[in-house]
Amino acid sequence: MAEQHNTHSKAQEEHEEHIGIPGYLVIFGILVVGTILTYFVATIDLDWIFPGANTLVALLIAFTKMTFVVLYFMHVRWQSRLIWLTALSGFFWLAIMFAFIMQDYLTRTSGTFTN
Amino acid sequence: MAHAVDTHEHHYHPPGLQHQFEDMKQQEESVSIGMWVFLVQEIMFFGGLFTVYLVFRSRFPMAFAAGSNHLDAFWGGLNTLVLIVSSLTMALTVYYAQKGNRNMQVILIILTMFFGTVFLGVKAIEYTDKYNHGTVPVDGWNKRIPEGGTQHSSPAEHSTLTLPFETKASAADAEPHESEAVHPNPQGRFRIEDKDLELVKQAQEGNYLTGSEKIGYFSNGQGSLPNGQIDEAKFRDKVRIFFWIYFVMTGLHALHMIIGLGVMLWLLWRAWLGSYTAEYFSPVETAGLYWHFVDIVWIFLFPLLYLLGRHFLHGGGH
Repeated sequence: MAEQHNTHSKAQEEHEEHIGIPGYLVIFGILVVGTILTYFVATIDLDWIFPGANTLVALLIAFTKMTFVVLYFMHVRWQSRLIWLTALSGFFWLAIMFAFIMQDYLTRTSGTFTN
Repeated sequence: MAHAVDTHEHHYHPPGLQHQFEDMKQQEESVSIGMWVFLVQEIMFFGGLFTVYLVFRSRFPMAFAAGSNHLDAFWGGLNTLVLIVSSLTMALTVYYAQKGNRNMQVILIILTMFFGTVFLGVKAIEYTDKYNHGTVPVDGWNKRIPEGGTQHSSPAEHSTLTLPFETKASAADAEPHESEAVHPNPQGRFRIEDKDLELVKQAQEGNYLTGSEKIGYFSNGQGSLPNGQIDEAKFRDKVRIFFWIYFVMTGLHALHMIIGLGVMLWLLWRAWLGSYTAEYFSPVETAGLYWHFVDIVWIFLFPLLYLLGRHFLHGGGH
């Protein structure tokens, strides 16, 4: 990313249009399709694959939608590495929180919530 | 220091540039970093709630599925689309701010605010529906539906359990609605329906309950109930956990929307004055980052709250 920026002239950078209106409409279309897909996939029973497959598919679609929003609507694709790092750190710490808390709860005996 | 002052006096200086930055590029990046650090904090803030969701759902998946099936996936899906449209108008606002097009900025900010308001309106419809059907997770905070559907069946309860925002007449007003007449709720309690119990029975017969569920739904203090009998009150309390999570998460998300609308109002005023040009548009970009973040939270809330139990219905509607 940094090298790429250096090859741009200052004037080019100031008038950077990112992906323009057609590009934004394409991203919008992807998000709408993803939403409709989430809705209909949820009505199909995928438990024959493995229990909880529905949730996995729903989350995969949600992550895809989020990636498009972050990269294009939030312009992270054209930002410096420092902003990439900042954005990714949020998800990194979130993953640590999920992992450490669940390694506790999933290894407890089931007697904890009896009431 | 003296040199810096000198530079400012003799060289061209973009109008939006603060004195501590070298140029607009550096200033824009600093603003973006600051906003992203705030958003990372927001990720952790909502992340705590998602962790609560993860812990309880991994324990009591059928109670969550039963609770989820009380939510209306149509309204949730519609709201997802409404937020995506508002994200598009927000992204286009930034686009036109970068071009210094004042009129398009104003129009698109108004559109963004319109869709944000539609979202909150749909939320209000949904919350009202939860109140009417007794799925607000606090006993006494739901609509009171008298026994037998007559107004004077239990006057004592009506006189003591009228909410502040209700008149006694409206509290006692038993709508001649068939399903409500069948399920009276004179004290406005949190309640579940027979179909929720059937869902658990189905899971019990299919033998796919978790260990926590076997203890949490089917036992008392002494051990399992005879003949695989369910303890309805204990199961209801697990569904209640789902509705607490639903109201806290969607409520905090709605609060973010309200704050976002306030930010948009300020942005509208500044854009109206023509403050943003191709050289200076950081506030629009920053407000956009916030708006898109709130959209992303909803992208996850929609499938995790509204859709998680749909596939158990086998094609049946709500």
